[in-house]
Amino acid sequence: MGSLDGKVACVTGGTRGIGLAIAKAFLDEGAKVVINGRDKAKAQRTLDELNAGANVHFIAGDVKKREDCEAVVDGTVAHFGRIDILVANAGGAANHAPVADLTDEAMEDALVWNFWHTFWVMRRAFKYMIPQQSGRVINVSSVDGKVGKPGISTYVSSKHAVNGLTKSAAHEVGTLGITVNAVCPGAIETDVMMAEGPGAAVAMGTTYEGLLEMFASESAIKRLNEVEDVSLIAVLLASDAGAGITGSLISIDGGTSPY
Amino acid sequence: MGKLDGKVACITGGTRSIGRAMAEAFLAEGATVVVNGRDAAKGAVAIAEMGGGPNIAFYAGDSSKQSVVEGLIDFTIEKFGKLDICCLNSGGVNMTAPVAQMSDEEWNLEIDWNLNHVFWGMRRSLQHMIPRQSGRIIVTSSVEGKLGKPGIPGYVATKHAVNGLVKSAAHEVGTLGITVNAILPGIIETDIVRSTGPDSAVAMGLGTYENLIAAFSSEAATKKPNKVEEVAAVAVMMATDAARNITGCLFPVDGGTLPY
Repeated sequence: MGSLDGKVACVTGGTRGIGLAIAKAFLDEGAKVVINGRDKAKAQRTLDELNAGANVHFIAGDVKKREDCEAVVDGTVAHFGRIDILVANAGGAANHAPVADLTDEAMEDALVWNFWHTFWVMRRAFKYMIPQQSGRVINVSSVDGKVGKPGISTYVSSKHAVNGLTKSAAHEVGTLGITVNAVCPGAIETDVMMAEGPGAAVAMGTTYEGLLEMFASESAIKRLNEVEDVSLIAVLLASDAGAGITGSLISIDGGTSPY
Repeated sequence: MGKLDGKVACITGGTRSIGRAMAEAFLAEGATVVVNGRDAAKGAVAIAEMGGGPNIAFYAGDSSKQSVVEGLIDFTIEKFGKLDICCLNSGGVNMTAPVAQMSDEEWNLEIDWNLNHVFWGMRRSLQHMIPRQSGRIIVTSSVEGKLGKPGIPGYVATKHAVNGLVKSAAHEVGTLGITVNAILPGIIETDIVRSTGPDSAVAMGLGTYENLIAAFSSEAATKKPNKVEEVAAVAVMMATDAARNITGCLFPVDGGTLPY
């Protein structure tokens, strides 16, 4: 008996990093899971690793495109017959620079990747969840959705926006059996962090190693978080026991966030 | 296989309501649990209802007393050999009065029950957990640890203080394998709320108990009170080995009430 037996979940960006950990944890708890990503070849490696047979299904799509976001949600319902749990997980930011030097393109990219993607998949999922009067939306935000660091205003602004969207939506659907929460992890050395961290570090006036050390030093645990920290909370929020938790911005940051 | 197999927990105020739900959830996950309460007869009934057996024990005493809180922890370690999980759960609205009318005596009762109890329990637990480089401290706080309501200043002030204590302690022991977290429930119709709610309602200018429940519920996105089982599920999660990186967290279980 798993805590998610019979549930259907959709995880954007589910082929690696935090999304993959969440997909694994959901499968372990008995859910059927759609994972999404841009690259079919990468996805095949993930599917092989998950080894979950018909309980997992891949839908290709770029979350920076509205039609792809909507197709991932619609495709989940088409394939598994319903959607109980939406995890808006994909995200990141690139081309970091201080505000004074920041390009429109870099800010737009982060907003589309983190905020618009979350809005697009949530709005689409509500079309199914509101009539069925049940659902769980889990937005993967960040400790930077609550605090701010110099040089990464794209990421910080878009994650703050995700947190606001989370709270507003939670109040809209609070009596409809649907919860909407954000999880706010501290720094985790995911593939996206390894790809974009060095650029962010330069914009912040440090090195990649210095960036990781800065995040770790601000926490109580003095180390980075891990993807399994996030999946632990995602399972709780997705389960029936999470029914009373909504509109929350859950810190998974080793004690970093002040609130 | 339970998530808490082999763990030993103690819970202040564990014979009913939130503490009772935590005890039952911990037992179901394989832990050994010591619950505390003031009334020995009620305690005996409670542990019998929870299945009795060798995995549960009761320690009688008023958790607003230092000797009782420390005694509970010492008893748990003596009886079961160690303490992995300390739930500092008891507390409530002891006295209702606006600040202008609050007596020193009433204020101090609130401080002892909601704040000093947590400090005494945390200090004693940490003295055991730090040498072992392992432990979980879970404090039952409240949405009132972040907000404020009229007429219950002692409760609001002590729950705010508890949240600060949790964050400070989490940073002190963050590299020692010990996590310190708080759970912030919204209104739950526990025995304590049912017994003190009518007075609170009057002090808060809401008139009746029903109005009090409705006022709290109306602030939530869910428009209803929370449940003890929701708090227990979060406590189990925090108590597991998997939650080693979750610390200093003020975890709301409030149906969307808190603004942050």
